[in-house]
Amino acid sequence: MDGGIRVRGLTVSRGGRTVLRDLSFDAPRGQVLALTGPSGAGKSTLLRCLNRLAEPDAGTIELDGEDIRDPPPPLLRRRVALVAQLPVMLPGSVADNLAYGLDALSPAARDEALLASGLDATFAERPATALSGGERARVALARALTRGPHALLLDEPTAALDPDTARHVASTIVALARRDLAVIVATHDRELAGAVADATLRL
Amino acid sequence: MSAAVLQVACAVAFVAGAALLAHRLQLGLSREIVIAAVRAIVQLTAVGALIALVFEIDALALAFVAVMVVTATLTSGGRIKGVPEARRRAGAAIGAPALGAAAILIAVGAFEPTPREVIPVAGILTGGAMIATTLTGRRLLEGLHDDADAIETRLALGDRLRTALAPTVRTAIRTGVVPVIDQTRNVGLVTLPGTFVGLVLGGASPAEAARVQLTVLLTLVAVELAAATVIAELIVRTRVAPGERLTEEDQRTGPS
Repeated sequence: MDGGIRVRGLTVSRGGRTVLRDLSFDAPRGQVLALTGPSGAGKSTLLRCLNRLAEPDAGTIELDGEDIRDPPPPLLRRRVALVAQLPVMLPGSVADNLAYGLDALSPAARDEALLASGLDATFAERPATALSGGERARVALARALTRGPHALLLDEPTAALDPDTARHVASTIVALARRDLAVIVATHDRELAGAVADATLRL
Repeated sequence: MSAAVLQVACAVAFVAGAALLAHRLQLGLSREIVIAAVRAIVQLTAVGALIALVFEIDALALAFVAVMVVTATLTSGGRIKGVPEARRRAGAAIGAPALGAAAILIAVGAFEPTPREVIPVAGILTGGAMIATTLTGRRLLEGLHDDADAIETRLALGDRLRTALAPTVRTAIRTGVVPVIDQTRNVGLVTLPGTFVGLVLGGASPAEAARVQLTVLLTLVAVELAAATVIAELIVRTRVAPGERLTEEDQRTGPS
């Protein structure tokens, strides 16, 4: 495997309990890996280890062949973009959210991220905190994309959405993976997993 | 009934009313109000009896200032439970700015290094620092909890931890210093603070009283901002984990 995420021998404990034990898997670029399993199985914990919001007890994680402990965490987190289950919209417009923390974001790059996330360019000027759940999910995707990620981690991306919106987001996820991103989707929704996944890892 | 008895009786009636109201509203504060009132009565009576002695003996005056700072530290430290070594951190946030500013005022000759001047000034500065420390510390603890998802979102977008925490920290510091800013803004209009009243009652000219009050009040703004900033920093340090992330205890514990 040339690009993507490679996990070997990952063991993670939280609050004295071993959540993940000796886990190994690959999430190559261009594909969607679905993480399934019941609540408490460690799906969110695993995603948070992949962008170093949590630290494992043992094991190695590589992104494109490089140990994720090598780059500074802020840089790693732009390359391995995590979208939370209930995305928080930061104050300001959608455009402000998309440009958050970046030195500069061209209007073209901004519109491209919106389009890739299933939104049109007119969304840029909308106040971010007044969006519907489905719109938030898409803006969060677009906001992750403006970092120029190599991998995308989605935590229950459709859990808060109605079935129609969920189907649209699912097809957006597949389209994003085809843009040479390693996409990992944590979900307890088997329908979503079946619809988007090239491979499935059950925890 | 003498004026003295009437005065005390009225004051007790007011605080009893407050305790009753707190009880009715189920604030869980009525017991605390009663204890605070009893303490105030005992402490002020004791100070009234002791102060003449304290004003005469320098060593006793220093001990008195130390008691002020320790008491303020225990009070604030008890209000920010959940912070490791809360008292030590509160003590630093209160003691350093309050005593530092008092030392500067005395060093430049703004106040005489006599118990009669040092004790009231140190007392006012310590009390202000205590309030700012408590308010900032509590607001910050609430903020770290309430903003956990927003902080994590900012981290995930590539912020350094300090940057991700900055909005929460700023809100907490603002909360801590708003009272002293309002007090300063409205002095003479809404409040006639203790120093001024005390000096006038003690026979000083109103102009002199105003000058002393102004010195204390404006110093207090700096002291309280310093106290708020120090306690915020000392609390943030307990939550910083290696690798630009929060310590585990404060991370989101949602479904995994």
